[in-house]
Amino acid sequence: MVFSLLIDRSVPIDPDRRQWILSVTVLAGIGLLIGGYQLTLLTETLLMAIFALAFNLLYGYTGLLSFGHAMFVAIAGYTVALVSATGVGAFGGFSPVVTFGVAVALGVLLATLLAIGVGYLAVQLQEIYFAMLTLSFSMALYIIVQRDSLADILGMESLTNGSDGLTIIFDSIVLFGRSFELVNIRSPLVYYYLVLLAFVLSYLVLWRIVSSPFGTICLAIRENPERAQAVGIDVRRHSWATFVISGAVSGLAGALLVPLHTNVGPSLANWTFSAHPVIMTVIGGPYSFVGPVVGAFVYNYLRWFISQFQLLEAHWQLTFGLLLLFVVLFFENGVSGGLWRLRSAIRDR
Amino acid sequence: MMGGGNESIRIGGVFLLSGVAQALGNASEAAVKTAIEVHNENGGIDGKDVEFIVRDHGENPTSTIKSLVQEENVDAMVGLTSSGVTLKNAPTIESLGVPFTLTDIGTPYITEFDAETYGNKAAGTRNIFRTNANTATTVYAIAKYAVENYDGARIANIGPGYDYGEQCWEYFKAYAAGLGGDFEYVASEFPDLGANDMTPNITAIVEADPEIVFTSFWGGDTVTFVTQASEQGLFEKVTDVFDTIGADPNVFSALGATMPEGLHFSCWYWHSAFDNDANGTFLDQYRERHSEGSLPSIPSFTGGSSYAAIGLYIAAIEEAGTDPDAMIDALEGMSYSGPRGEWTIDPDSHQASAPTVLGETSRADSVPYDGVGLANTEAVTLSRTRATELLAGSGLPSGL
Repeated sequence: MVFSLLIDRSVPIDPDRRQWILSVTVLAGIGLLIGGYQLTLLTETLLMAIFALAFNLLYGYTGLLSFGHAMFVAIAGYTVALVSATGVGAFGGFSPVVTFGVAVALGVLLATLLAIGVGYLAVQLQEIYFAMLTLSFSMALYIIVQRDSLADILGMESLTNGSDGLTIIFDSIVLFGRSFELVNIRSPLVYYYLVLLAFVLSYLVLWRIVSSPFGTICLAIRENPERAQAVGIDVRRHSWATFVISGAVSGLAGALLVPLHTNVGPSLANWTFSAHPVIMTVIGGPYSFVGPVVGAFVYNYLRWFISQFQLLEAHWQLTFGLLLLFVVLFFENGVSGGLWRLRSAIRDR
Repeated sequence: MMGGGNESIRIGGVFLLSGVAQALGNASEAAVKTAIEVHNENGGIDGKDVEFIVRDHGENPTSTIKSLVQEENVDAMVGLTSSGVTLKNAPTIESLGVPFTLTDIGTPYITEFDAETYGNKAAGTRNIFRTNANTATTVYAIAKYAVENYDGARIANIGPGYDYGEQCWEYFKAYAAGLGGDFEYVASEFPDLGANDMTPNITAIVEADPEIVFTSFWGGDTVTFVTQASEQGLFEKVTDVFDTIGADPNVFSALGATMPEGLHFSCWYWHSAFDNDANGTFLDQYRERHSEGSLPSIPSFTGGSSYAAIGLYIAAIEEAGTDPDAMIDALEGMSYSGPRGEWTIDPDSHQASAPTVLGETSRADSVPYDGVGLANTEAVTLSRTRATELLAGSGLPSGL
């Protein structure tokens, strides 16, 4: 396992610089060794890891459980689909790259704007009320895209295309007389490295944030919002800022996920999709920075493992549920916590 | 080429095997398996057995489809139980390259090739085929019957609140206009797909005082609708109720005595609608394998199309081997004679010219459960030329 490397000997269990560089190097190397479906699976896992990391900035670090983070993935995803269908400018063989870049930038921008609006309202409340508010906004977006309400309002025939959703295909890129695909469905090598780059940047930016005084204030809010308020922290304003960062990074994950799927539909805004980062974070461990990444890997590869056996696959929800139950009951702070304790136990013998 | 090194011929299937349409997906899977088992008992293809690997749509159908082609190395695929999932995954299916035959999909868009006329409604894909009659044929059969028998009537629509329901209603109105019908449309309601409570919608329909009700519910939604409409006395107040794909043994057995007689329900296949040897054989083969268990011992409304998909593949592989492109060439224009009679896969649209069945709910039909079947059935087909003529001006493609 790649991520057993990430478990530090000391508490907290997050990787030090050497382990981090080693992990990224391994991930970069793996891209050249595997192909086909496994490369798609790894690409998707990294994207879900970005999503879960963003989610956990709010949950594990600030103590705010959002049950509507799918809305940021969806709004960015739909933006990418709509922009890519239009295409941007005439840059010859390089046009698909420009279109992709503009689409992703706009996707993240819209996710950020949505987070500013929804976040302002959501952080007025905490705990279950916060969760319900985020859930409501996300389901409102679900209904809007599913019923294609924006098209009615704007007087268009179709915008989000209802439950049928939208498809995304980027033209081949032509550079120096050579043509290649940005997202090769059969084996997304180019796209994998793009996603890996996005993962590394997201990880470093979020790590920088949680290691800064900003992150320390997040922890203070998580531990005791009243006390934080009493020592002069504007809890709502700080939670709002955290919400916006979390929403923006989730938007990046969504903007990059949709081209890999070649489609976007209302299910991306549904509460069931919001449950993914929650489950991944619970599996991986919310009280370590790397926990959600571990959770995304465990979740996706466990799901893949189940699909390899017809009997387990026929009852995959049950199988998955039982395994999840096991982690929640017997592992303190998820798999990353469990691995760390296992390692300590071996060292202490 | 792909699959060439396999000892057996591998066919992958993706159906909704959990949640709202579980019974529907299970029944399609059962028909596919029946066809495969029979072929294997008869010696397979050149001595090679046909192997079937089936998966649930799951929460990530794109990944499921990729996994079957890239990990399980299937030579061809069948299935899908959702028009939305189909349209969304068309680019992925096209990139993967192996033939994919749809057995349960209504949307005409996925077999429409005329992008010049229909823009993004033309989602026809090189390696996607379809063996069930699409919505353009199903709704035509209903519209034709309505115009011939109830012209001038007050009609209300109630259908599932997603693209399929909305599309069926659009096609109905377009065909009615094309056929010269002069209906008064008094109400249109779209409860959510899988809604538990349709009573507010049914009340709205009842209050509009229609003579005819048009619905496009299927599976569990048909059960919910009929049960609640019956409680609200809708069936006593109207002359007739149409349903596009509601006629199904699972649905009728679940409804039992609640299902009124004399309503016009259609489907893609009905066991007693086809009087031919191939259908008799199919029914025997199916009954032998499904006389026990949760499914009724007659095939579902997707039984004919699911069974035929395997027959087509076997013919294509016998003719052209398992090279995907060669298989696609063989499938284009292929004729098939089976339980639903003789039909052809259109070389351009990849749509089978197979019929839709329209019948009258009745206890006179012999069914292996306590409930209604269909009587006075009619198998209706439609040509692309005629459909295009009737739909002119609506912007709706026929996908035929």
